[in-house]
Formats: sequence, C-alpha cells, structure tokens
Amino acid sequence: MPATASSSAQVLISALGQPAPARTAFAEARFMQVLDRPLVVSGELAWLGGDRLQRRVDHPQQETATIADGEVTQQRAGKSPRRFSLARAPQLQVLLDSFVALLSGDAGRLQHAFEMRLSGDPAGTWTLSLAPRDAKVAKTVASIAIDGAGKQSRCMRMQEADGDLAIDLLGPLAAKMPAQPTREALQALCRGTP
Amino acid sequence: MRAGARATLLIVWLLALAGLGWLVAQRLKVSTDLRSFMPSPTTPDQRLLMEQVGDGPGSRLLLLSISRSCASCARGTEQSMAGADAQLAALSQGLASALHADKRYSQVLNGSFDLGALDASLLPYRYLLSPTLDTQPLDEAYLADQLQQRLDDLSSPAASLLKGLLPRDPTLEVLKLAERWTPAKSPQVREGVWFSPQDEALLLVQTTAAGFDPDAQQQAIDGIQRAFHALPGSAAAQLEFSGPGYFSVVVGAQTRQQADWIGRISSVGFIALLLLAYRSFSSLLLSALPIASAALTGIAALTLAFPEVHGITLAFGFTLLGVAQEYPIRVLSHRRAGEDAVQSVRALWPLLLTAIASACIAYLAFYASGVNGLKQLAVFTIVGLLVAGFSTRYLLSRLLPVRVRDVAQMRWLARARDFVDRLPRPRWIPVLMALVIVLMLAFAPGPFWQNNLAALTPLPQDMLQRDGRLREALGAPDVRYLLVLQAPTEQGVLALSEKLQPQVDALVAKHAVDALELPSRYLPTVALQRQRQQALPDRATLQHALNEAVQGLPFRPDLFQPFLDDVETARQLPPLTPEHYAQTPLGQRVAAMLVHRDGHWLGLGTVSGVHDVAALQALGESTNGAVRLLDLKAASESLVAAYRTRILQALLVATILLVLTIAVALRSLRRAWHVLAPMTLATFLVLAVERMAGIEVSLFHLVALILAGGLGLHYALFFERDTGDAAEQRRTLHATLVCVLSALLVFGMLAWATIPVLRAIGLTVSLGVAFHFCLSILMAPHASED
Repeated sequence: MPATASSSAQVLISALGQPAPARTAFAEARFMQVLDRPLVVSGELAWLGGDRLQRRVDHPQQETATIADGEVTQQRAGKSPRRFSLARAPQLQVLLDSFVALLSGDAGRLQHAFEMRLSGDPAGTWTLSLAPRDAKVAKTVASIAIDGAGKQSRCMRMQEADGDLAIDLLGPLAAKMPAQPTREALQALCRGTP
Repeated sequence: MRAGARATLLIVWLLALAGLGWLVAQRLKVSTDLRSFMPSPTTPDQRLLMEQVGDGPGSRLLLLSISRSCASCARGTEQSMAGADAQLAALSQGLASALHADKRYSQVLNGSFDLGALDASLLPYRYLLSPTLDTQPLDEAYLADQLQQRLDDLSSPAASLLKGLLPRDPTLEVLKLAERWTPAKSPQVREGVWFSPQDEALLLVQTTAAGFDPDAQQQAIDGIQRAFHALPGSAAAQLEFSGPGYFSVVVGAQTRQQADWIGRISSVGFIALLLLAYRSFSSLLLSALPIASAALTGIAALTLAFPEVHGITLAFGFTLLGVAQEYPIRVLSHRRAGEDAVQSVRALWPLLLTAIASACIAYLAFYASGVNGLKQLAVFTIVGLLVAGFSTRYLLSRLLPVRVRDVAQMRWLARARDFVDRLPRPRWIPVLMALVIVLMLAFAPGPFWQNNLAALTPLPQDMLQRDGRLREALGAPDVRYLLVLQAPTEQGVLALSEKLQPQVDALVAKHAVDALELPSRYLPTVALQRQRQQALPDRATLQHALNEAVQGLPFRPDLFQPFLDDVETARQLPPLTPEHYAQTPLGQRVAAMLVHRDGHWLGLGTVSGVHDVAALQALGESTNGAVRLLDLKAASESLVAAYRTRILQALLVATILLVLTIAVALRSLRRAWHVLAPMTLATFLVLAVERMAGIEVSLFHLVALILAGGLGLHYALFFERDTGDAAEQRRTLHATLVCVLSALLVFGMLAWATIPVLRAIGLTVSLGVAFHFCLSILMAPHASED
C-alpha cells in the first residue's frame, strides 16, 4: 500500500540521517552518449550543513566543486575558480536536494522535491526511487535511484532524460569500482548484498 | 453701438475663434524632444553632445530592478529568501524574454548566460569574432588539450551545461564570446540572473528610442511595465526604473502636474480678483476674449511657420502671454461713468500701443537667440500680444456694457491715491538703489551663472541615490565621459579601436577606470577577421589534427562532425560588417557605438567608473585628435554659456530698440527716463536680491526677468502719464493694482512649486512685479510737480 510505503520510507530516511558535517567516499561512472566508454572519477562527497555540499574529486584529477548559496564554484589545480548558478545545472540541484535530505534525514524535503517510491525491505536491502516534481528539472534529470542496505546508502543512480546515466558507488563500495565498468556490472554491484 | 450690432460682433468673434480652434486642432503637432530647446552647437564636442544627449548608448539605457513588494517581505526566513530569489529570477527571465522580441528595445541584459547573443545564423562567425585564433592555431596540440579539458568538464558538475555544445564547439568559442561581451564589472549572479546587494533582480535595457524624447521613452517604459505585469507572480513583486530616459519622463510628468494644480488655483484666484475689482460677470467673460484670441492665433501662427510645435513653447508661451491680460484690465479700470468704452480706449490707445510695441521688442530678443524653441516662443508671444492688443482696442471696446461703475468714485481708491501722492520721492532714490544693487551683486555668494542644465530639472534625492546604486551594481557606463575615436571610414574606426585596446586594458589594470568598452570588443575589423579566417585549417587538415587529438580519449569517433562543418563554413564566410551585423541584437549595440558624420566616422567608447581623468585624456595624446575624451558635462556647460551670451547680446539690442521706441513714443528723453529708469533698476534689483539669496542665474531666470520687465514697463508708462486729472490718476492706480495683484497671484503661486524651473519663473516674476510697482511709484514725477 502506498501509505505504508510512504511512511516506511519516512522511517528509513529518518534513520539514515547523520549530523553535519557528514562525509562519504564515492566513485562515479558516467555513461554518456558523446563518449564510447564511461568516465570514472572518485573522491569524497561532504555535506557541510545547511544547503552546502562539497564534491571533491581525487582521481583522475584534483577538482573540488562546492555548492553554496545557489552558486556552484569549481576549482581545479592551477586554474582560477569557475562559478555558475545552480539554476543552470539541474543535476546539481537534484543532487543537492536528494543528498542533503538523505544525510540530514529530512523526509519532508525529499517529499517536497520528489515523487518517492520505496521497494525492498527497509531492514535488509532496499531501493528508493525519486522522480523530480519540477517539470523543468525533469526535462534534464528523469529519475534518481538510491540503493541501500539497512542504515547504509550504497549507490546513487542518476538517469538523465537524454539517456546518459551516472552511477555513484558510496562509502565502502566506492573502493569496488571496476577498472572498466558497465551499466550492468555496476547495477548488480548496487543491488548485491554487503 | 446698438445691441443688435454688438450681438452680431460677438457671434462673429466667437465663430472666428471656433474656426481658429478647429485649424489648430487639425494642424498642431506637438513635439517633446528637448533638444529643440537647446542652442545649435558650434564646436565638434558640442555637436557630439547634442547627438549623445538623445542617441548615445548611455542615454538610452534603462536600469531596472525587481524587488519583492512588501506584502511578501514580512516572512523573512532563510528558506523563503531562497524562494524569493527564485521568484525574482523567474520574473527577470520572463521579462527579458518578453522584451527580446520587442523592436522598441535594442538590448536586454539580465545576467543570464545568453547564447542568443550570437544569432544562430551567425554561429560559424565565432571563429572570426573570438580572439582565440590570434594566438592559437587549431592544431593537434591545442585540440588535444581542449578535448582533455572537455573530458574533465564532462566529469564535473558543469557537464550538463556543456554537453549540448560539445559536438559543435569543442573549444567553447561561444562561451569565450559570451564572457567577452558581458559587462566587465557585472553584478552578483544568483539563480542565473543579476542581483544587487539589496536582493533585487537587475536588468539593463537599451531602448531604440532617443533618451531625451519623453514621449518615446514613456512608450518604452509602458511596454516594459505591460510585459512585466503580464508575467505570473508579478503581483508580489515591484518593478522600478532608473536612467536618463526614465528621468525625462518623471520630470515631464512632475512639471506638468505641478503646473496644472498651481494653474487651477491661481485661475480661480484670478477670476475672484477680477470679479471683486469690476463686479461684472459680463465684463469678466468678455475680457477673456482677447486672451483666448491671442493664444489661438499664436498657436495657429506657429502651426503655419513650423512643422512641429514644442510642448515647452506652449507652456512658456501661455505664461508670457500673461502680459496681455493687462490690456483688457487697463480698459476696464479706465472706464468712466457714462462714457462709451470705445472712447475710454481711444484715450488710452497711444500708451497701450507703446506698451505692446515695447513688449514685442523685448520678445524679439528670443527670436534672435537662434534656438528653434525660443524662436517659436517669440513668434507665439509676439503674434499673441498684437492680437490681444488690437482685439482689445477694436473689438472688446465695442462689446463692453455701456453702464459701468467708475472706479474713480471708490473711496478707498481715493485714499490710496492720496497716500501714494504723499509718499516722498527724493531724487537720490535711483542713485541709492543703483549703489545698493552694485554692492549686492558684488558681494553675492557663489557663482553668478548656473551652467548646469541638469540643475534646472533636478530629481528627487532618493531617485538619484537609487540611480547611483543601480549604476554601480550594474557597472553601467557613466553618462558623463565618452572616448571618441575618429577615422575616415567605419573600418578605420574599428582598426583604431583594436590598436587602442592594449592601452585601454593597461588603464583598467591600473584602476584609472573601472571599464572602457570599445566598439571592436563587439566587432573586429574586416582585416582582422580575414587574418583569423586564414588561420583556420582546411577540412582535411583539421580532420587529421582532430583524429590525432582524439586518440586515447573516449569521445565517439563521429561526434565532432558539426565542428568540422562550422570551421569549413567559417573559412568561406564574407567578413562580418556593421550593416550585416545590425540585423541582430548585438549588432544594434555596435551600431549605437559607430556614428557617421560629415564624411567621417566616429566610434564611441563607453566609460564606467572614472578614477583618473588625466590618464584617460592621455590616451588621446599624439593621435592628432583621432582619439579624445569627451566630457559631456563640460561640453554642455560651454553650450549653455554660449547660448546665454547670444541671448544677452540679443537683449542688449532689444534694450537699445526699447529706449528708442519709448523716447520716440513719448517725444521726450526726460519722460523716457521716468519710464525706463525704474524698470531698469527694478530688473537689476531682482537680479541682485536673487543673487544675495544664493541663487545662480539660469536661462529661465533671464526669460522671467524679461517677462517681469515687460510688466514693469506697463506700470511705469501708466504712472508716468500725466493727465492732470485726479480721477484718471485714481483709475491708473486701480488698473495697476489689479495688474500687480493678479501677477503676484499667478506667479507667487508658481514660486511655491518644487520644480526649479517653475520656481525660478515664479519667484523672479513675483519679485519683479513687486519691485517694478514700488519703484515706478517712487520714481514717477509728482502729480503736482509740473
């Protein structure tokens, strides 16, 4: 039943909450139409409290992106920082909304930004599917799926509307990113038991 | 005259007025361009100023701010602040896209990244417009580096911004151009649009219409307001304007509003005064006919002599026609019991004619000024005065009722006349007055002349502050300075601009100036475009370089086909010229910076935030005048000074003519002295008193002094008239009192206005009327003297 699904989703999200600042390792593979093999980067995601999020990439190149006050600042070693508005990068808005809500255990915020659906067992392995409510955002980001086990998020999959897909392995799983990932291999990794 | 004949005359007169009214309504075209009220420029800088005042890129800028209206600012939590930003940003975007499509606006900027700045059909031109190729060939090494950077971009949060551009523009020339074309010092960008530190969304709109054409600016502003109010959510927000065009609209509306209410009050007072003075409705109504005839004939004459009549001509013209109200008043006051009005007028006519002729001579000075608006003013007032005078003499006198009260019988008037006659009139009064005037003028504080045109139409302080704040936030160009580049051809100007760019960059780096925008920033010369074109590799070479560069990178092999196509197209393109470019919004921007005049071309560089004027002026050294810094303020001041000199010269000639006219009319130099001395002294006394009060004398003060002088001349002429008849002397006093009171009423009200132009006229004329009245009494010959 949707009502219980929704309320169990809320219980799950509250359980996922952590105090700021919360940090987690990540490894991301992007499958893009313009590329014939996926792009892989890894580093650390940090929620600094409030609406501030930092995405630090360590491999293959140092780069830090900070989202704060509706602005994205991108810094690369040896280059002057690049700034642009959050409004121009809907994926980041989605990332911010979902990630901050998850880390702070703020179910209300998630509910506000997304259509939510929880499948699986909150105590065992589960998948939380999020579809952006904002039509403008939905034009770029079709959906997000977060896979987890118990109180741990393991994976974040962002499906873009043009078919591109980004899969982030989170926490300990980040270390398990294969050298030549495929969509299927990563999805299996995300669903797998710990 | 029999009753029947009088009725016929009245009807014919009214019909003639109706006919004139119809003619005027058919032909009258009112213009509002303030430039027709400015003098014709003589130096090149003044000529450029006159063009810039209306058409310059700076004067056509409107600065817009969108803020939350205070119904919604009560809840101020951080969450709702973010929401408010988003709302304002959406309004800013909505307004910008609505205005982009509108022909009334040549440029709309709101800080959002705008690929539309370069028209889709012009996209291949990016390789000719961007400076990349000047230093960097599109070779394998460069492409490899660029592609590696794009790959990094794709793994970064900015991926979605660039993904679409990548196949067509892997080196991101479009972004480089967009960066190059955004104002050098731009405000903070939030939610994709400009925001001020006060949390207002900011926009810059350049109108197609000239800045100092209040009607066209009004239309442009109305258009923006309509577009704004059509947006969803606009009710919770507030749109505010600033900029020269908006100010011209506000000043025009304020002046009209104040003149209107002051006019209404003083009209009521004026009617009440005349009713009190003459106790006759029919006399009052009939005495309005000469003035109505004067106004209508004056306008009709204007429509015949000029293609367009300026709004200010009409406003000032009606003020100056106030003199003509004296003619019917004199006739009414000089009526004797039982005497036909025609007979009363006949006795007055030589004096009235002298008064009319001298007023016309004074107003002739305006004609000689050579300024189109003032010429119109002269035609209007001279025609009006003649019509008012002659219709009073030949028409009004035949219509006035036969039975009237002789004002000479009023007891208070007799007492007043006795008082006036008993006043001491020592001969040293003129000498003393002259001495006092000289001393006052010598010790008056501050500069004598007001040279600043803007001081006459000043804006409310809060409006100026907001303008300064928005201008600073937006980095909008200064309206005071322009860097002028001159060359025989358009391309020459662009070449000069390109040559100057490194020096300008150095000045900006040294903080001599915050930003200086040259025309070549938007459009390089044809030569430079050709040079870049030649640096573009042919298809096979580029394909080879690309194949090598892409080695080892995960890009799809055929991804960059659109890039290859665009470069190939760019190689064949005819270089972009201003005419071709003018079809696009950005081309409009360039067109505003390039001016063709007298067989040569001028490029206008806009300047923001000048810190070191001398350094900017030094740019022009050793260029033989090809580059110079134009100080619009200095040019406008020199223009005003030249303008005033011409008016003063014309006034001098008018004064000589006036002395001759009065002397000939009175056939006596001594009598002419009694008329002209009080008038002259009173005029200078007004000047001296205003100077002592710290008022700087402007052109409007001069115009008002001439009007007051015309009125004063009447008082002196009538007081000087020696009829040896005590009753007639009383009538003269009555007429003059009515004239003085009505003038004080009308202009005294004007002196309370907050608009400096109105106040200047009101104060000067009121003071003038009072001084003229007192001095012409004190300096008139004693009734018993001769």
